[in-house]
Amino acid sequence: MFSDCTDERIKNRLHQSSAQNKTMPELRKDPVIGRWVIIAVERSRRPKGFKAPSHKDTEEDCPFCEGKEDQTPHEIFAIRKEGSMPDKPGWDTRVVPSKRPFLRVEGSINRHGRGLYDVMSGIGAHEVIIETPKHIGNIADLEETQIAKTVTCWIDRFVDLGRDERFKYVLVFKNYGVAAGAGHVKHSRSQLIATPVTPKRVKEELIGSKKYYEYHERCVFCDLVRQEIESKDRIVLDFDGFIAVTAFASRFPFEIWILPKEHNCDFSSMGVEKRLYLGKVLKKVLTKLKVALDDPAYNIVLHTAPFRRKKAKAGYWTTIEDDYHWHIEIIPRLGSTAGFEWGTGFYICPITPEDAAQYLREVEE
Amino acid sequence: MEMDQPMTPKDLHMTPHHYEDAANCPFCYGNEYMTPPEIQAFRNPKTEKNTAGWQVRVVPNKFPALQIEGNLDRRGLGIFDMSNGIGAHEIIIETPYHEKDLSDLEPGEIGNVLKMYCLRSLDLQKDKRFKYLMIFKNYGSGAGATLDHNHSQLIALPMIPKNVIEELKGSGAYFEFRERCIFCDMIRQELDEKERIITQNDQFIAFCPFASRFPFEMWVMPKEHQLSFHDISDGSIASMAGILKEVLVRMKAVLNDPPYNFIIHTSPIDGEERQGYHWHMEIMPRLSRIAGFEWGTGFYAVSTPPEIAIKYLKEAKI
Repeated sequence: MFSDCTDERIKNRLHQSSAQNKTMPELRKDPVIGRWVIIAVERSRRPKGFKAPSHKDTEEDCPFCEGKEDQTPHEIFAIRKEGSMPDKPGWDTRVVPSKRPFLRVEGSINRHGRGLYDVMSGIGAHEVIIETPKHIGNIADLEETQIAKTVTCWIDRFVDLGRDERFKYVLVFKNYGVAAGAGHVKHSRSQLIATPVTPKRVKEELIGSKKYYEYHERCVFCDLVRQEIESKDRIVLDFDGFIAVTAFASRFPFEIWILPKEHNCDFSSMGVEKRLYLGKVLKKVLTKLKVALDDPAYNIVLHTAPFRRKKAKAGYWTTIEDDYHWHIEIIPRLGSTAGFEWGTGFYICPITPEDAAQYLREVEE
Repeated sequence: MEMDQPMTPKDLHMTPHHYEDAANCPFCYGNEYMTPPEIQAFRNPKTEKNTAGWQVRVVPNKFPALQIEGNLDRRGLGIFDMSNGIGAHEIIIETPYHEKDLSDLEPGEIGNVLKMYCLRSLDLQKDKRFKYLMIFKNYGSGAGATLDHNHSQLIALPMIPKNVIEELKGSGAYFEFRERCIFCDMIRQELDEKERIITQNDQFIAFCPFASRFPFEMWVMPKEHQLSFHDISDGSIASMAGILKEVLVRMKAVLNDPPYNFIIHTSPIDGEERQGYHWHMEIMPRLSRIAGFEWGTGFYAVSTPPEIAIKYLKEAKI
């Protein structure tokens, strides 16, 4: 479990490995709480690099618009009009590798220790899903059929990356607005990152659901859906097989979860019809948010089961298909988290989810 | 944060209060009446409570996140668990000077602030309802500060928060396995490798942690194994104040006065002795925004490795 550190050999190994891996991002594990971080040397910024650049968003400079395909790396996947060619116009949604990836796809994982500290190579995939050929910033302003095409891209990439045994998890997410960590180019896009470890927060959620299942023999999310429908206090929307609720234990004001009513641990099993429903729900919820909070910055994170392969440790995720339930969490970024939240992992939310839900229900889309 | 009245969406477009002049600032001399009555202060002899003449002053937060009166009353609501928000929320005003930040204070003045943290901790730990004391600072609006005047905060909690539990579990497991403190081992390895040390003196070490979550994250740690911050001796306070000043001055020089948070990580006050724990302070400059990936995974991507951050910090002209 813990590697020992006392002799010269360690120092030698340390220098060797840092020489070998000069350009490779590195994963380092916090020795106390077991949290992994990515040290992305390639993206290394000097202190001055942290000052916000004063880019203006102009359509001419946008590398994501139709006709600018040569400004991105080669596309990995696209939904295209018949007869159109890769990396040429004629697409509806398009997936390309990130130009500034956190993790890199080539190489082996190479787990090793450096004294007290654990390290592995920063292997992974980092892709950008361009959600529209037009220069539109907010996914809420796209047609629901267009949003459904984005969902198809997520699913296709998820399934494809699942074939690579080095990856344990794929996180699909979206940063909208500068306060949510998005760049200055306002062209609607989401991202996915495949990681060689199951991230800590994901694991915590999986363990929580598993424990609940062991005790109740029911899925905690199915129970949550039932209770929310019954109480109605936190429901934002309820139609077409999905509910959108403000979270009971919201970390942030107007935090919204979208859950399929039907139990399923894996979002990639969603059929074509459901993708359209999800597109509809996402559009409605995000439009409500845009109106209620005057176009706030937000993050969207998809929570789904990690890849389930035969090789996995026995007993590890054996009940996951029954105990876990995929869903989407939307976090508007209205204030900044401060010292208290960082220190405790305990959030102070200045509005009740019940009030937030009521505002959102009443908002005219 | 006002808790009595739920906020409307409009209230959430929070803008920090900037009191351009000291005249309107509730933390300046002469405006003591603008805060709730003071809990404790270091004052000049013969000055009255809630008047000018203090060096460090502690007042209850006007808009506390938690309230001091009442019982916890844990209960369930269907599948959800709740309890009342019991706790104490105090503001430590670090200096009467409106324009000075912590790094501008003399080491002796910083020592007074640390001493006050210590006195408040010793007082609050007598209240058996509290299990944990969190001392922290938000500097700059990018770090969540809502008032310009230099201050830090103390929140007493009725439970041990999740992040602290993780740290206690991790260090506890290591201690059980090795019969050594993981933080002491960390200090030994850092002293040995020297790659991440910013500065040190006889009693404290300041370094950029190996698995930094943020660029230029810095930890200040007592070299001697000590479980709780409030057990610090007066001699160690002076020593820590010197290190803290140097670290903050270096950070300010390199990163051009960035917003930052610091948090004192210390043992819970629930009566249990956790031999594997070792208190320390974590300082996090807030340079980049936390985005979807970090929220979703709890996995941080850092663009400046600690070994490189350290070079800038050491070379800073101070």
